[in-house]
Amino acid sequence: MSRSNKMFGDNAFNLLKDLQRSSQTIPAFDDDGVRQVLEEIKAIFEENVAQASNYNSSGDRSLWPLLNYRHAALQRNKRCLLAYLYERMQRIKAMRWEFGPIIPSDIKPALCEPEVQFFNNYSKSLAAYMRSVGDGQGIDLTGNLRPPKSLYIEVRCVENYGKFELDDGEVVHLRKNSQHYLPRAQVEPLVRQGILQHIT
Amino acid sequence: MFIQDLKNDFYRQLIGKRILIIVNYDVDAICASKILQSLFKYDHMLYTVVPIMGVTGLKRAYSEHQGDVKYVLLINCGGCVDIVELLQPAEDVTFYICDSHRPLDVCNVYSDRQVCILGDPALEENIPGFESIFYDSEGEDGDDDDDEDEDGGENGDSGAGESDDGNGDGDSSERVRAPKLSRMQKHEQRILRQRARRQWESERDRIMFDYTQFSYYGRSTALYIFELAWKLSKDNMDLLWWAIVGISEQLLLGKIESAAYTLELENIQSHVSRLTNKTNDQNTMSASKINFENDLHLVLYRHWTVTESMRYSRYSACKLKLWTLRGEKRLHELLVEMGLPLVHARQTYSAMDLILRKEFYSMVEQLAEKYGIPDIVYGTFTLSYGYRSRYAAADYVYALLAILQSVKKHKTPEDCFMEASDALSRQHKQLLNVGIDNAKLLHAAIFRQVQSCLEAHQVHSTGSFFYYVLQEEHAFFSYPYALALLAKFVLHGHVATTRVRQAPDLPLIATCPLDASQGMCLLVGIAPVREDSPKNFFGKAFDQAAQKSKTNLLQDFFEPSIVQLRQSDLTRFLDALTVLLT
Repeated sequence: MSRSNKMFGDNAFNLLKDLQRSSQTIPAFDDDGVRQVLEEIKAIFEENVAQASNYNSSGDRSLWPLLNYRHAALQRNKRCLLAYLYERMQRIKAMRWEFGPIIPSDIKPALCEPEVQFFNNYSKSLAAYMRSVGDGQGIDLTGNLRPPKSLYIEVRCVENYGKFELDDGEVVHLRKNSQHYLPRAQVEPLVRQGILQHIT
Repeated sequence: MFIQDLKNDFYRQLIGKRILIIVNYDVDAICASKILQSLFKYDHMLYTVVPIMGVTGLKRAYSEHQGDVKYVLLINCGGCVDIVELLQPAEDVTFYICDSHRPLDVCNVYSDRQVCILGDPALEENIPGFESIFYDSEGEDGDDDDDEDEDGGENGDSGAGESDDGNGDGDSSERVRAPKLSRMQKHEQRILRQRARRQWESERDRIMFDYTQFSYYGRSTALYIFELAWKLSKDNMDLLWWAIVGISEQLLLGKIESAAYTLELENIQSHVSRLTNKTNDQNTMSASKINFENDLHLVLYRHWTVTESMRYSRYSACKLKLWTLRGEKRLHELLVEMGLPLVHARQTYSAMDLILRKEFYSMVEQLAEKYGIPDIVYGTFTLSYGYRSRYAAADYVYALLAILQSVKKHKTPEDCFMEASDALSRQHKQLLNVGIDNAKLLHAAIFRQVQSCLEAHQVHSTGSFFYYVLQEEHAFFSYPYALALLAKFVLHGHVATTRVRQAPDLPLIATCPLDASQGMCLLVGIAPVREDSPKNFFGKAFDQAAQKSKTNLLQDFFEPSIVQLRQSDLTRFLDALTVLLT
């Protein structure tokens, strides 16, 4: 018969493990898990406070290792919680670079309220920065994270789109199964949407 | 007008402009468009490629892109129809036509500025002179003016005229106008003029009829565009290979004679040697190499078993009559004499012993004379890259044809066009292999159909031509290329088996229903076996027969020998054609 060995820090460890194992990019914010860890921290802290005040009055050093041990467990829990929050924050930042300034509707319920606010503030500062770069004209840095090899790409139209106007006024009629050679910067959004297919 | 200096008059005009490329649905055009696309990419010219199948497709594509482009490039389409009249373009739109179909429409040839044909006028045959077909209308107007003036002079200006006459007896020498004639003489002159004009018109009709009577093919478009790339020093092995595939298609589908093909071969060989010496990595085994060699007219034999390849190739099958039992025995005799064990002959070529593979070609060449298949050898090119891939140009042609034919419910002809275009590039080898498999199925189906047809004597003769009617839709034969291949095979097979003396001189008409719901069927005309030259008179013949029998003929495709018409009109049409050809 095995006894469940409940150790300090188990809950925090499980929190992080779940985050790592999850198949989604940003899983739902584990409210319960975080609350449990916080309670555990509180419980350890209370015990420590009780015994530490004892030391202050009696000067007994025999319980010192126990206090240190509990303090270490507390710090470990804290570190795990911070790691959890930090990892989620990194993923949210990456999401801004991937998807743009609007949170996709299937990820939104997975974020807690402060995370949503973080996302919006981050978006705002990124936009302010991008506007200021490039002599006041602004560059969309989230377009290409690696510099493209060529100015123009060859694309094939997968669906009927209709007329598409380029920057210099030329109008291209995008009909299904027609092949075009167009400037990369202007057709990237269409390639991302799936209307055009990039031919290598 | 003709443009000969492609580099300056054509390419340099297009740099920096946006171009619309309209491509016909055949292998030569696909190769040419790929070469052009790679050329345009070097100079960053924006282009749009639109595939079309026939005249209606051309009109539709043009009307969609009408306001946006000023330069339109037509590849293998539009040479034989009057473009300006058909599309009604705006004044500043320029058309460049690179078409291997002949005869070229005279309005395109003599257009001043709007239509430019890429080609060498010296190589074109029999283009009627400008004066003989276009009436000099200025002379006519001048005559009319003269007439009117003289008439007017009689009525209104009579005062001045007569006074001139009256006063100017002495001045008559200074007068520029024709001397005044009496009414009778004027009338006579007018009658003479009209008679001359009628004579001129009938002469013109005769010239035009002679000119447009036969339809044939000129130089391969892909090869022509490759020469442009060469002049721009932007050619490489890939482009050369595509040009080779283009011209091989012309040979294999019987569009040009083998003499013309042999002449081009020398040209191509010089390109091959030049490009092979230019690349640095010739010593690596995996570099792509193009070799010239003498090869056999056996369909896809490197990717198939020897027996099947011999059986399904039209030339060997018809000469050895391989659909009969005696033919099979003869085939076995041939294999025995070659020293090829039957077990090996029935395996895929690449699984045969190395020695047998090496000797295969030379043994067939030696025995060709004895078995009556001397023309089975012809010169062609093979492409080898990597350790496993070795393709003959003919393999590429058949694979692309099979891909173009593979139209299914969810796969429109444009999809097939794009797939064929992709299969040409070396990165998409698996597309090419799929095409080769489809080509094998196609040829096997053709052979089976021919076998059943010849055994059931389904080829009927009307005295002036043969005809063969397929009763129901077929997955393969409802499309022009496969039907044409089938018809050719049937004709050669029939000629080989029949005892009718004038069989080699009669052409064949094959039809197959296209679409049971709409009742349309596809009709193909094949020239007789004895005729060497690929000049096809069916275009005009179909036209005239349709007029006589008042049937509605849809001559949509750019190949004039392939038409569509209603199933119900078929018998009437064939009757009219019979009358016409006797």
